[in-house]
Amino acid sequence: MRLYSSEELLDRELGDVMAQEKRHLGLVSLDAPLISNLSVLSNIALVKQYHGRLSVREAEDIAVMRLNKLHLEDIAKKRNPVLLEEQRFCVMVLRAVMVEDPVVVIDRPFKIMPDLDDTRFIREVLTSVDDLFQECHIFDYLWNEERYTGGMIHDA
Amino acid sequence: MTTAIEQIGRSGLHVVRSFRDTLAFAFRILARMFDVPAYNSAVRMVLINQIYFTSVQILPLFLSVAVISGAIVIGIIGQYLTHLGLFEYFGQLLMGFVVTEFAPFITVLLIALRSSSAVNAEIAVMKVNKELNTLNVFRIDEINYLFLPRILSGILSVVLLSWLFSIVVLTSGLVFSALLFNMSINDYVTVLLTSAKFSDIIVMLIKCATMGFFIVMIPIRYGMRATDELTSIPVSVLQGMVNVFIAIMIIEVVSLIVMSLIEKFI
Repeated sequence: MRLYSSEELLDRELGDVMAQEKRHLGLVSLDAPLISNLSVLSNIALVKQYHGRLSVREAEDIAVMRLNKLHLEDIAKKRNPVLLEEQRFCVMVLRAVMVEDPVVVIDRPFKIMPDLDDTRFIREVLTSVDDLFQECHIFDYLWNEERYTGGMIHDA
Repeated sequence: MTTAIEQIGRSGLHVVRSFRDTLAFAFRILARMFDVPAYNSAVRMVLINQIYFTSVQILPLFLSVAVISGAIVIGIIGQYLTHLGLFEYFGQLLMGFVVTEFAPFITVLLIALRSSSAVNAEIAVMKVNKELNTLNVFRIDEINYLFLPRILSGILSVVLLSWLFSIVVLTSGLVFSALLFNMSINDYVTVLLTSAKFSDIIVMLIKCATMGFFIVMIPIRYGMRATDELTSIPVSVLQGMVNVFIAIMIIEVVSLIVMSLIEKFI
C-alpha cells in the first residue's frame, strides 16, 4: 500500500510504477475503464485473445473460470454501465490478472467504490485471486489511511 | 488588409496540414493492413461484428432503396432515350452510369450516413470515456484492434454492396425493359454484355474500395480529436461527416478524371 499526501505526488509515483511494469501491468483504475461496448466476459478475455493469441472460446473459457472464482458468472453477459460498483471493481481485477505474470496496480480503490467504508471487500477479492498475480500495489491518499486499518494483503 | 491575407494564409495552411495529416494517417493504416500477425482472434471478432453492423443490418433498407431508385432511374433513362431516338445507347448508359457511377455513389452515401457517423461517435465516446487509455494500458494497439477491422469492413461493404446494388438495378432494368420497351431478356443481356468494359469495372472496384477506406478512416480520425468533454462528441461527428462528404466528392472527381484518361489513351 502506498499512501500520498497529494494528488500530484500520487500521480507521479503511479506513472513511474506503470512505466516500470509496462509489460506486466494489470491496472485497476477509473482511468482504465472497462470497454463499454464489450460484455464483462469479452472485457476479461480480450487481453488473452490479443496477447496470448488464444481463440475467442479458449480466452472466454478462462474468463468464465475467473468469474466463477468470484461467484460472478451471472454478470458475464452484462456491460459496464449496468454493473454495480463492487462488480465493476471485481471485473477490473479479473481483467488485470489476465496479463502475463501480472503486477496488479490498484489506483485509488475508494474512487472506484466510494461507498466502501474499509478494505475488507478489497481484501476478500484479492485473496480469492491471489494465486493469479505476483505483486499488488495499492495507491491512495494519506487521508484514506483510516479505511485501510486492519492490515494489507501485499505490500509494495 | 494584411490581417485578411494572414487569415487566408492561416486557413490555407490549416487545410493543407489537415490534408497531409489525413494522408499520413491513411498510409499508416494501409501499412498495417498487410501486417498478417495483427489479425488475432480479438481483431477477427471485431471485424466480423463490424461487417455484420455495416453490411448485413443495412440490407432491408439498402435493397428497398436499390429497387425503388433503380426503377426510377431506369424508367427515366429508357423514356428519354426512346424520346430522343437513342435507345441503342441504353446498355451503355446502364453500364457506364448506373453500374460505375450511380451504384457506388448511393451505396457510399447510405453507408456513410449510417456507419460512418456511428464509427465517428463510437470512437469519440471511447476517447471521452478514457477507453482508449484502457487499450493503451493493456498494450492493445488501437490501430490493430479498433481501426483496422472497421476500415476493412468499410472497404468490403462498399465493394460488395455496390455490386449488389448494380445487380438489383440491372434486374429491375430487365423487368422495365420488358414491360415498357418490349425488350427480350436475350436482347437486354446482349446489350449489357456488349456495353460492359473491363476497365470501367476495375476503376469502379478501385473507386469503391477507396471510398470505403476513407468514409471510415476520416470519422475515426475526427473521433480521435474529441477531448475529455462530452460536448466535443457532436463537434467531432459534425466535422468528421462534413469531411467524409468532401472526400466522397474528391474521389468521385478523381475517378472521373482517371476514367476519361483511360478512354483517351486506351
